[in-house]
Amino acid sequence: METFRNDILLHTEGITKSYYIGTPNELEILHGINLDVKKGEFVSIVGQSGSGKSTLMNILGILDRPTSGNYFLDGIDIGKAKNKELATLRNKHIGFVFQTYNLIARTSALKNVEMPMLYAGMSAGERRDKAMSLLEMVGMEERMKHTPDELSGGQKQRVAIARAMANDPDIILADEPTGALDSGTGRLVMDIFHRLHEEQNKTIVLITHSNELAGETPRIVTISDGNIIKEVINKEGVA
Amino acid sequence: MLLENCKLALSSIKANKMRSFLTMLGIIIGVAAVIAIMTVGNSMTKSVVQQLQSYGAKNIYVGISPMDWNAELSEADDEAMKFQPETIHKLVEKFPDQIEAVSVDSGAGSGEVRIDNSTAKVNINGVSAGYFVSNQIKLESGNYFTDYAYEKGTNTAIVSTKFAEKIFGAAYDASDVCGKEVEVNINDEYTTFTVVGIYKQKENEMSFGGYSGDQSTNMYIPLKTAWNMNHDDTIYSMEVVVKEGVDAVSFATEMQDYLTTLKASSLGEKFMVDCYSNQSMITESTNSMKSMTMAISLIAAIALIVGGIGVMNIMTVSITERTREIGTRKALGAQDSMIMLQFISEAIIICLIGGIIGIVVGLVIGHFGANAMGYEAQISISSIYISVLFSMAIGVFFGYSPAKHAAKMNPIDALRYE
Repeated sequence: METFRNDILLHTEGITKSYYIGTPNELEILHGINLDVKKGEFVSIVGQSGSGKSTLMNILGILDRPTSGNYFLDGIDIGKAKNKELATLRNKHIGFVFQTYNLIARTSALKNVEMPMLYAGMSAGERRDKAMSLLEMVGMEERMKHTPDELSGGQKQRVAIARAMANDPDIILADEPTGALDSGTGRLVMDIFHRLHEEQNKTIVLITHSNELAGETPRIVTISDGNIIKEVINKEGVA
Repeated sequence: MLLENCKLALSSIKANKMRSFLTMLGIIIGVAAVIAIMTVGNSMTKSVVQQLQSYGAKNIYVGISPMDWNAELSEADDEAMKFQPETIHKLVEKFPDQIEAVSVDSGAGSGEVRIDNSTAKVNINGVSAGYFVSNQIKLESGNYFTDYAYEKGTNTAIVSTKFAEKIFGAAYDASDVCGKEVEVNINDEYTTFTVVGIYKQKENEMSFGGYSGDQSTNMYIPLKTAWNMNHDDTIYSMEVVVKEGVDAVSFATEMQDYLTTLKASSLGEKFMVDCYSNQSMITESTNSMKSMTMAISLIAAIALIVGGIGVMNIMTVSITERTREIGTRKALGAQDSMIMLQFISEAIIICLIGGIIGIVVGLVIGHFGANAMGYEAQISISSIYISVLFSMAIGVFFGYSPAKHAAKMNPIDALRYE
């Protein structure tokens, strides 16, 4: 067990992920990923479709377990945690933003944002206040009572970002957050991420296939065929 | 958390109104069937018990019967089956705190009373004072027989209100009737009785077709008078009325033991004293009606189980449909137990709403059903509790496995589900 520099939030050692294990079709998607993300970093993981970037994001988000290798989140060894602890880790430490928003249907924007706080056991009044201020932060205070099917894509994604911020997570994992949006609304969403990074010093990992979007971030990790092939500190990116 | 789950479940039920209703229908039909049957059964039981109680719940029949009903009986045996008046006296003296009254009666034939153009048929029955207690006969006017009348066997009579109406007209003057003499034709022999009292004719003593004009009513005379008329003073059986607060069932056993000892010599090996309380008859028939209702209700409960399987089916469909939602909730940090609770609450709420509607429907059907069968509807409160609990239990039971399945889903598989 190596010692950690305490500013490292996310640390992986030789992570692999295989599917169809034990069958002739066994397929290794990730071939040993070593990645460190420091507190307050805005990193993009960029790669083509099929490069394994989504698989990596699922492992980083503890939605999936690696086949081998170690993963430490804030010093906690994920490989040794039980399902119950994983749920708590997802709840308190990670905020997800998905390409397809994944808002809960027939449930108002406000209730959607409240949900992680509900699972964290926060009181109803506290949840409501926090959710309202988060929706205000993403400019959705006018549409709090609307259900997802009454919102546009950009609006849904802004609600999703507010939801990701609900329990003040250490890290926000955004998987192609602008993938389903037009360039205008995509810009709006990206601006929110930049603001979170700059004003609140949030650690953000952005998964994207777009070099253009990746170019906006201070650090770019390129992944191809399940390997990290390039890491760039991007002076152009908004630091 | 629980409240949130209920709200969530309600919104999900509302979102699929038709499907939720069809699911509930199974529960509604099942619960309604059980409630309706239990209501009808309960009404029948109550009605039978009331009928039996009107014969006197506190009455104990006392008689002597042969051990073997097929045995030939000699004249001497006939003697063994009688009660002597002294035996009755001893019995009353032995149990002064338990016995309210002893009723002995002896039929004195039937006859006809004719005054002017009015006629009325009567059954003449010689009775002891206890008879009026054991049969709960209340006087409308006049008096019961005096001790003197019982002792001497005077020709006095207590007649029914119906009798008085027929002989003296519907608007008879009661004080005028008491004291009047009536001549009764018994097999062309005329006997004159003085009316001393008029009792209220009970409706249920009428035949099923209702009261018809030439129907007999009972005319009571003192027991001794009947004995004199019959030239026979045999007492084969009697009815003992116990005092308030005495347990008739256990007292019947006590009395049986005492009488058996008392009459041991004449009973021999061939006869036994039989004490049988109405209470045990009521208990027996109540129990048998209850178990019959129970048996039919169990058959109806099969409908409930089928309904429960419907709930399970819908929960499985609902969970498959909402796999991505489950994945999202897990990504947001929902514990397995919370996902489980969410879907179980949904199943419980469907069953509970179905159960409540079923209760209402069942009560309505049961009410009309009982009335149609001629009973007063008696709602069984316990059946309502049981149905509510049972339908909730069905929700838990049939919701558990789909909910468990949802809770155990791997978050990434659930999120990726198409």
